[in-house]
Amino acid sequence: MPNLLEVRDLSKRFTSAGSAFRKARSMHAVNGVSFDLAKGRVIGVVGESGCGKSTLARLILRLIEPSGGAVHFDGDDLLAKSPAQMRRLRARMQMVFQDPYSAIDPRYTLARAVAEPFEVQGVTPEKPMTDEVAGLLEMVGLNPGLATSYPHQISGGQKQRVGIARALALRPSLLVLDEPTASLDVSVQAQIIGLLEDLRSDLGLTYLFISHDLSLVKYFCDEILVMYLGRVVEALPDTAAPARHPYTRTLMESTFEPDPKKRRLIAPLEGEVPSPFDLPPGCAFVDRCPNASALCRSETPALSTETGHAVACHHPI
Amino acid sequence: MKVSSMAIRSLDAFARMSIGRALSSGIGMVAGGFLILLVLVAVFAPLIAPFDYADQNLMNANAAPGWPHVLGTDEFGRDVLSRVIYGARTSLSVSATAIAISMAAGMTLGAAAGYFGGFFERAVMTVVDLTWSFPDILIALIFVAIIGPGLTSTTFAIAIAYLAQFTRLTRAQIVRLKRETFIEATINLGAKPSHILLKHLMPNAMAPVIVVGMLAIGDGIVLEATLGFFGLGAQPPTPSWGAMMSSGTAQLFLSPWVIIFPGVAVAITVIAVNLFGDELIRSLDIRDRLRGA
Repeated sequence: MPNLLEVRDLSKRFTSAGSAFRKARSMHAVNGVSFDLAKGRVIGVVGESGCGKSTLARLILRLIEPSGGAVHFDGDDLLAKSPAQMRRLRARMQMVFQDPYSAIDPRYTLARAVAEPFEVQGVTPEKPMTDEVAGLLEMVGLNPGLATSYPHQISGGQKQRVGIARALALRPSLLVLDEPTASLDVSVQAQIIGLLEDLRSDLGLTYLFISHDLSLVKYFCDEILVMYLGRVVEALPDTAAPARHPYTRTLMESTFEPDPKKRRLIAPLEGEVPSPFDLPPGCAFVDRCPNASALCRSETPALSTETGHAVACHHPI
Repeated sequence: MKVSSMAIRSLDAFARMSIGRALSSGIGMVAGGFLILLVLVAVFAPLIAPFDYADQNLMNANAAPGWPHVLGTDEFGRDVLSRVIYGARTSLSVSATAIAISMAAGMTLGAAAGYFGGFFERAVMTVVDLTWSFPDILIALIFVAIIGPGLTSTTFAIAIAYLAQFTRLTRAQIVRLKRETFIEATINLGAKPSHILLKHLMPNAMAPVIVVGMLAIGDGIVLEATLGFFGLGAQPPTPSWGAMMSSGTAQLFLSPWVIIFPGVAVAITVIAVNLFGDELIRSLDIRDRLRGA
């Protein structure tokens, strides 16, 4: 399968404004991230809050301008596109947002919200607009009778379905899912995940799935990228691949095991995530790592595939 | 849920629901009813006023309230009731026009500043804040010096006096709304800045600006009366409540009705505007609480 998305060395540095009393500080929210996403695959990005997952999503869609690197979408170099070209391309790369509660304009009826993509892109749907809207609402499992409702009249799960309908209205090929279930009830989460799975097989979509929930990512994705403080520390080629990075290992061990007999004692992570503004030299994980050595403190490990799949660790497990 | 709580569906829905709800309370009904009556009086002044506002009758100057001059006459023998009725025209039209200009300019500047940010925002806000630092009377004097006394100067002075308020309010709303997910989502659909600004940001920022505009009309009436009192506003014989009070000061003890009735008109109108504005805010707040859940 050809690659739909190729991300190379993508970086974003945020700089806070300095003043007479404080030096300007900068942080690498995303640091040299590279990966390929083949058509029809699902890649998962996991990591703690603040590790740069959401920034990565916005960099790929160019909702934030990257400081460096390259993004190729279906052969197009996104960073070389003019704003007008970019607006047209957006029809093919959509996003589902973390907070469904504020993802729809409160003054828009669901019909107007779902019809907005056509209005914005100047596309006339094949069917009359009311039929098109009804079709989209049905596709995401909503009663078309809700079309005249306002966002405050429907539930969080229903709002997220509307967000998905909006994203799918223009038949995109890439869908970036930024923690689409994080602010929903557990029972509703399962419904949304089920819906996303069905849509993927029905419409042949490619997903970039961002989550802090490793068990969900393992269930949902073909490949997994593990991020820690802006860097990819491990790229698991499939969900059965053994974790080699100590951080991934800890994440995997800390997922809930339903079978009491299989439960083990979890060694919790010691220490805190260092401030992204002044990262220690060497590996960012060093203060929390059980295997840390002097080398880890002096030299930042690069992603290497020596031990099978890509791991950024001097002492992979 | 901050956005949805403040938000209203559309301008006409706002008019129907909020003004409707404000009118349905006791105070709101009385205040709103009075304002509607006042607008009707201003519009149909020639039909209602018993005399022409400029008709002088020096033989009957300073007549006490009675018949046929229900509210008495002034120092030129002009009918005070007729002049108060025609004065409503001046007060309401000057204040409403000035606030409309101020709102339109303030919303445009504030929205642009809030949306584009950066140097442009700082430049706009500095200039706007500067207008705020001048006393209203001084601004009026500047306009009088440039275009001469009259209703045009008064209108522009009032418009400038309230510009900062509308600009700042709109800017704050836009800055807050800009961070909402639905704006990012719409940008990601490929929307142009004009679509974002006109179809999402402005409609959502409108409600509080309209309420403040409503309240500002009351202040505008007072400012118009003040400027009229100093002779900077309407020029004789055009009746204006402020100018009438000014001419009435000379006969304050001889014929107090000349100053009392226009004063009462200003007071009642401003109280009605403020009460109705409060009711409007309250009706929006109830909506907040209902929606907050």
